[in-house]
Amino acid sequence: MTQISASAGHGNAHVLETSDLRAYYRMKYFGIDREVRAVDGISMHVRKHEIYGIAGESSCGKTTFIKAIAAAIRPPLEIVGGQVNYSFIDDDLYALSPARRTAIRWQHLSYILQGSMNVLNPVRRIHKTFEDFAFRHMHLPRAEFDQEVRRHLERLRLPAEILRSYPHELSGGMRQRVCIALATLCKPEFIIADEPTTALDVVVQKDVLAMIRETQHEFGSSMIFVTHDLTVHANIADRLGIMYAGRLVEEGRTADVFANPLHPYTAHLIASLPTIGDRHTRDGLHGTPPNLADPPKGCRFHPRCPLAMEICRHENPALTTLAEDHRVACFAASSDVLPIADGKPNQPEALEVER
Amino acid sequence: MRSYAIYVAKRVLQFALVVFVGISITFLITHLTPIDPVEHAVAQVSTFGFSSPESIELLRQSLKELYGVGDNLWEEYLIFWRRLAMLDFGPSLSAFPTPVSELIGRAIPWTIGLLTVSTVLSWFIGNILGGLAGYYSRNRILRILGMIMMGLHPVPYYIVAFVLLIVFTFLLPILPSSGGYEMNLATGWTPQFVGSVLLHSILPSLSLILVGVGSWFMGMRALVSNIVTDDYVTYAALAGVPEKRLVTSYVMRNAFLPQITGLAMSIGAIFNGAVITEQVFGYPGIGRLLVEAVHAADYSLVLGITSIAIIAVSAAVFIIDIIYPLIDPRVQVSQ
Repeated sequence: MTQISASAGHGNAHVLETSDLRAYYRMKYFGIDREVRAVDGISMHVRKHEIYGIAGESSCGKTTFIKAIAAAIRPPLEIVGGQVNYSFIDDDLYALSPARRTAIRWQHLSYILQGSMNVLNPVRRIHKTFEDFAFRHMHLPRAEFDQEVRRHLERLRLPAEILRSYPHELSGGMRQRVCIALATLCKPEFIIADEPTTALDVVVQKDVLAMIRETQHEFGSSMIFVTHDLTVHANIADRLGIMYAGRLVEEGRTADVFANPLHPYTAHLIASLPTIGDRHTRDGLHGTPPNLADPPKGCRFHPRCPLAMEICRHENPALTTLAEDHRVACFAASSDVLPIADGKPNQPEALEVER
Repeated sequence: MRSYAIYVAKRVLQFALVVFVGISITFLITHLTPIDPVEHAVAQVSTFGFSSPESIELLRQSLKELYGVGDNLWEEYLIFWRRLAMLDFGPSLSAFPTPVSELIGRAIPWTIGLLTVSTVLSWFIGNILGGLAGYYSRNRILRILGMIMMGLHPVPYYIVAFVLLIVFTFLLPILPSSGGYEMNLATGWTPQFVGSVLLHSILPSLSLILVGVGSWFMGMRALVSNIVTDDYVTYAALAGVPEKRLVTSYVMRNAFLPQITGLAMSIGAIFNGAVITEQVFGYPGIGRLLVEAVHAADYSLVLGITSIAIIAVSAAVFIIDIIYPLIDPRVQVSQ
C-alpha cells in the first residue's frame, strides 16, 4: 500500500482527491428521520507539496469534511456518497479494510488537531505517546527509535527534556509544537491540520505557523489546513477553498482569492478583515448560516446574498472554473456557471458506518 | 521531591486532625448518655448476694479505674486518649470483664476476610465489565448486562440477602444458612476448618458482590463513555494506536482514577462491618458485635468499634492521598 498509485484519476500528482463527497449526520428520533447535510457534494483535490486552506464560518461543515477525508466517521455521521482517494492508496479510502486503513494512519496520513490542551493523554509521558503513535511504523529497534525521536525534536528545535514531561507540564504553545513533531515524525505524505493555531495567542501562533511551514517544506508533505481565520490562511495556504453550508463555493490560489473574490460570500469575508488606518465601519452579512437539516433550496447562500437572482432560489450553481485555477459556484459571477442537480445522491443508503 | 514531602506532611496533618475530631465526637456522644457503667456493673454484682457497703465502695473504686471514669468529663477524656494509644478501651460492659480490645480482636478477622474479598471482587468485576460496556457501547451482550445491573442495583440489600438465603438454604439446601464455620469444628488452619469457613462465606459475599457490583459498573460505564469522546482518545484513535493499547492506557487508565479513590473509601469502610449482612447470615464479625453492643448499651464496646472504624477510614483516605500523585501526575501540581 506504500506504492504511489498512478491510476487515471489522479495522474498529475494530486495527493488527495475527493469527488462529490457527501457526509450527513443521520439521526432517528421516535421514528422521525433527521438528516443534517454537513458535507454536500464536495469535489476538490490537493496537489503535492501544497498547503490547501479551507475557510468558512462555524458550522459550515469544515470539521465534518475533515472527518470524512480522515475516515473518522462515527455514527450518526455517515458517508452518503462520493469518493476519497489518496495517492498512497490505490483504492477509495472507504473501500479499504479497517486494518489497512489503520495501517496508513500516521505513516501516510497524520493530523494536527485543534486545542492541543486535551489531545495528549494526561497521564502519559510525552515519549510514551510518541511510542504509541509512531513506533510500529518506524521498524526500528527501541534504542534507535528513541534516538530518531530525539533527532526529530532537535530538527524542530524542541528540547529533548519534554519527552520526560507530562502534557500538563508544558505550555499551550509547546503542546501544539509537540503535536506538530508527533504528526511529522513518520514524514507522512499528507497532514490534516484542524484549527491548529486557534487556541494560541498571536505571537505563539506566528511561531507555530512558521514551524508548520518549515516542516511541511522540509518533509515535502501536503497539507489541508482548516481555520476560520482568513489572516492565517493568507500567511500559510497556497490555495484556498471557501466553504458555505456544506459546499465549496469558491476555490483558487490564495492571492487570487484575496485579490479578486468571485463569490459574494468570499467578498464579504475578505471585506470584513480590518485594515490598519481604515476607520470604515464594516457591514456584516445579514442573517445566520442556514440550518443544514433543512437547507434553503437552490444556492444555499441566496437568503443572505445581496446579488440573489431568481435562478438562485431554485437552482444549485456548479463549481465552475472561471479563471486559471479559480473555481466559483455563483450564478452572479458569470453566465458560464450552470446549475447542477440539487438532489439526493444516487445511493441513499450509507456506504460506510464505522464505530 | 520537595513538593511531594510538603504534600505528604499536609496529608499527615489532615489525617491526625480528622481522627482527633472524629474520635472526640464519638467520645462525647457515648459519655453524654445517661448510662453509668460503674453503677451498672455494681448493680450486676450486688444483685446476686449480699455485699458490705465497704466492699461495694472498694469495688466501685476499682471499677472506676478500670473504666477510666474520672471526676469530670475532661479527666475522663484525657484518660481515654492515654488508653487509646495502647488500644485499650477498658472492659466490655455486656461481656464483663472481657476487654473490648479482645472482643474486637476476635470479630475483626471475620469481617476483614469477608469484606475485603467481596469489596475487591465487586470492584474488579464492576469496573472491568462497566469499562467494556462503556467502550463497546453497541455490544449486545454488554447492553443486556447493563440492563441487568441497572435493575439489580436499586434492589434493597436485605431483599437480595433473603432471596439468596431462601434459594440456597431452603429451596436448594446446598449452602449453610448462618455462622462463620461449622459449630463443632476446632478452629485452626486445618483443611476442614478452612473449607468450612469458605463454604460459610459464599452466601454473604455473594450477596455483597451482587449489590456492590452495580454501582461500580454504572459509574465506570459513565466515566468511560465520557472519556471515549475526549480529544486524546479521538486523536489516538485517528493515529491508529492499536485498540488494546487504546482501551487500556488511554481509556481505562484515565477512567480508573476516580474509581481507585472509591475503592480506598470502601476498603476503609470495611471496619464498620457489614451490619445487615452479618445479622442476616449470623456472621461473627464486627457489624454483629456493634449491633449487640448497641442493644446492650455497651458503650465502651461501641466506642472501641467506632474509634477503629474512624482510624481505618481516615487511614485509607490518607494512603490513597499519598499514592495518588503516582497514579495521576496532575495532582501534585494542582496542590
